[in-house]
Amino acid sequence: MVKPTRVTNSIRSLRFANGEMTQAELADRVGVTRQTIIAIEQGKYSPTLEMAFRIARVFRVPLDEAFQYADEPA
Amino acid sequence: MTFMEKSSWVVLVVALPTLLVYVALILPQVLGKPMAEISWVQPMAFAIVGFVVANVLGNVVAAVSNPSEADREDQRDREIGHYGARFGSWLVIAGSCSALVLAMTGADHFWIANALFLGGIAGSILSAVTKIAAYRGSFQAW
Repeated sequence: MVKPTRVTNSIRSLRFANGEMTQAELADRVGVTRQTIIAIEQGKYSPTLEMAFRIARVFRVPLDEAFQYADEPA
Repeated sequence: MTFMEKSSWVVLVVALPTLLVYVALILPQVLGKPMAEISWVQPMAFAIVGFVVANVLGNVVAAVSNPSEADREDQRDREIGHYGARFGSWLVIAGSCSALVLAMTGADHFWIANALFLGGIAGSILSAVTKIAAYRGSFQAW
């Protein structure tokens, strides 16, 4: 259950590109706690698909612009 | 810190002293008295009621200290809650199975009640520790 994730994200840069949106503001708009946004940004929690879509929608970007999934190491 | 994490800390902070005080009251009797003379019903009842009341009060304090977070629970909180409860339930089940075996073998009420009590409180501690570790470290539900 507790394992490293290959899901990365650009939430931090998207926040800054969107008027330096605070983590609290993003959390309010997504409907989660600020701690969850912090955990996602730091790669400590992979959001559900629905939460990921909601985050991408706040920034009006496609899902794969907000979240990336690294290739498996060869 | 989310309200759910604070709530887990409350369980831990309340359960550990409850367990230690109870063991400190009962263990000397177990080692030094015949089974029939051990006074365990009252300490156990006080421990259970004290645990529940202290938990409620702790959660009220946590809620009052930050009312805007008190009713806020998201997907991560629910996943961590289930994750912690799953670990804790193993000890509750172990305690219940032990009590069942003790009852089947005609053991004294003292041992049956204590198997249930210790399974329950140890399960609460393990569940709280697991949740806190998930909140503090990395948690991936899938």
